[in-house]
Amino acid sequence: MLKPEEYFEPLPASEKNEEYIAMESKSFAKDVWERFCSNKRALAGLILLGIIVVIAVIGPWISPYPYDGMDTMISNQGASLAHWFGTDQMGRDEFTRVLYGARISLMIGFVATAVNVVIGIIYGGIAGYIGGKVDMVMMRIVDVIYSVPAMIYIILIMLILGSNVYSVMIGICVNGWVNMARIVRSEVITLKEREFAVAAFVMGASKKRILFRHLVVNAMGPIIVTATLMVPQAIFNEAFLSFIGIGISAPAASLGTLAQDAKMLLAKYPMQMVYPVAVICVVIFALNFIGDGLEEALNPKGRR
Amino acid sequence: MSEPVIRVEHLKKFFPVKGKLFEKKQYVKAVNDISFSIRRGETLGIVGESGCGKSSLGRTVLKVHQPDSGHIYFNGTDITKLNEKQMHPYRQKMQMIFQDPYASLNPRFTVGETIAEPMEIYQMYDPKERMERVQQLMETVGLKPDHIRRYPHEFSGGQRQRIGIARTLALNPEFIVCDEPFSALDVSIQAQIINLLEKIQDERKISYIVVAHDLNAVRHISHNIGVMYLGHLVEIGPAAEVYQNPKHPYTKALISSIPVADPDYTGLGKRIILEGEVPSPIHVPKGCPFSTRCKYCTEKCKGQMPELKTVGEEQVACTLYE
Repeated sequence: MLKPEEYFEPLPASEKNEEYIAMESKSFAKDVWERFCSNKRALAGLILLGIIVVIAVIGPWISPYPYDGMDTMISNQGASLAHWFGTDQMGRDEFTRVLYGARISLMIGFVATAVNVVIGIIYGGIAGYIGGKVDMVMMRIVDVIYSVPAMIYIILIMLILGSNVYSVMIGICVNGWVNMARIVRSEVITLKEREFAVAAFVMGASKKRILFRHLVVNAMGPIIVTATLMVPQAIFNEAFLSFIGIGISAPAASLGTLAQDAKMLLAKYPMQMVYPVAVICVVIFALNFIGDGLEEALNPKGRR
Repeated sequence: MSEPVIRVEHLKKFFPVKGKLFEKKQYVKAVNDISFSIRRGETLGIVGESGCGKSSLGRTVLKVHQPDSGHIYFNGTDITKLNEKQMHPYRQKMQMIFQDPYASLNPRFTVGETIAEPMEIYQMYDPKERMERVQQLMETVGLKPDHIRRYPHEFSGGQRQRIGIARTLALNPEFIVCDEPFSALDVSIQAQIINLLEKIQDERKISYIVVAHDLNAVRHISHNIGVMYLGHLVEIGPAAEVYQNPKHPYTKALISSIPVADPDYTGLGKRIILEGEVPSPIHVPKGCPFSTRCKYCTEKCKGQMPELKTVGEEQVACTLYE
């Protein structure tokens, strides 16, 4: 019978590399990016949105027509080589106006979302981290803000500040951050019990440091997903407001205003309605696909 | 004799239990009237079964939980009543190693960021020196310095525990609470970590509290051992004495339960089997907490919790030794 030591033989010294890690080191962001790219629908959404953003930003500069240049001689034309989307009843170039409208709609969407994210993270983070009575009071304030319909805030702000891009943005922000604050709060509440948060506390980290460098960073997944889905929501709200006539006023145009202008001539010139609405649809679809893709990429165990 | 690094007197920590409205508020008595001291470069092992308050004791000593009463002295200074701002300089000297090396590292930080963070908080060294020190620390704990940019999920459990230890050492602490540092690791890795902790102790004269339920590992690493039962310290003394000559009936049962790695071992019959269940820590029996399960229990035991009495080299809280 073999003795126990005869079952084994020593490895040559060259093989003694037990700490070797073969896999390439990937940061979290890189990992998410790779998973995101493997999702075709999400990638298509991202590319589509990228194209729209690029032409919306540079389009009005290179277009030969100003967005408010009227020429009643050529009103209500169909699509042609000179006017790709035709002209509206004032003879303005529809293509330029759609680009310009997309620019304003996207700006409202992204700026309002950025403001909501910042306010939501700070407010929700503080409420969740401190907890107890502070949390209780802060979340009841949130409930009160949330219980009044968004339209009422927006219309009130419009009355005071006039109907322009900024009052639409402020109106959307007044209660848009509430959702983000709730999500951040619930994430922070679960994360603050984790051992790495206790470890940071024992290391002498300040409350601010623990909250923003440890907890919020780890809540980034749900925050990004919520933010991505907030953008189409803001664009939709703006378009709706402009369509019912209390949003951005002429001659400036958002996609909603364009749709509203086209409403009167809908029976005769339906294409004037189709262009802005199609752009709204594409933008909102693209953003929703991106949001879904991000959710899957950030949370690979959750689905699939 | 020099002043002990940590001295704890009559420490108590009760956690409120969420009760129904209008009911009398109830408490889990996690740490109940515990006193001990640890000298420089020594290790106190805390053993006891799950839920007896071992971890809570470790965390209360570090003031992660604010104690309800009693005193904690660090190098002779009473730190019990200090607020977080006043605690800041002391936190640097009192650190903690966690049970779960998966949960105690921030998954979004690289190894380098994790180990450098405590130095950043205390603004030790300039950024360049910090990175050099991170690499030194990684070598000290047996990690390759070129892994500095990797993330915790790319390491094995033992390696992560080493990262945690390196982070703890970054502040040059004098006292470390090790909260079950071995229980999430497999046996061969446990041995490596135990040896690492001992090596660090020899080099830096750090004092440890090692909380664990692996009795053999604790015996190996500890100078003194404290036995806890339902929030009370029932016996404390030199490791060899507690293991070879346990005094308290609970310690006897606990020590007899250690498995022996010898197929010819015939002492199985000597194993003391305790009857009944551990009482709920909310309703701790009056008097000696062990009285409901102790075969030596007398009327006296049910009256009042016995004080810790010196018996030989040890201290025991049991009426048998009064």
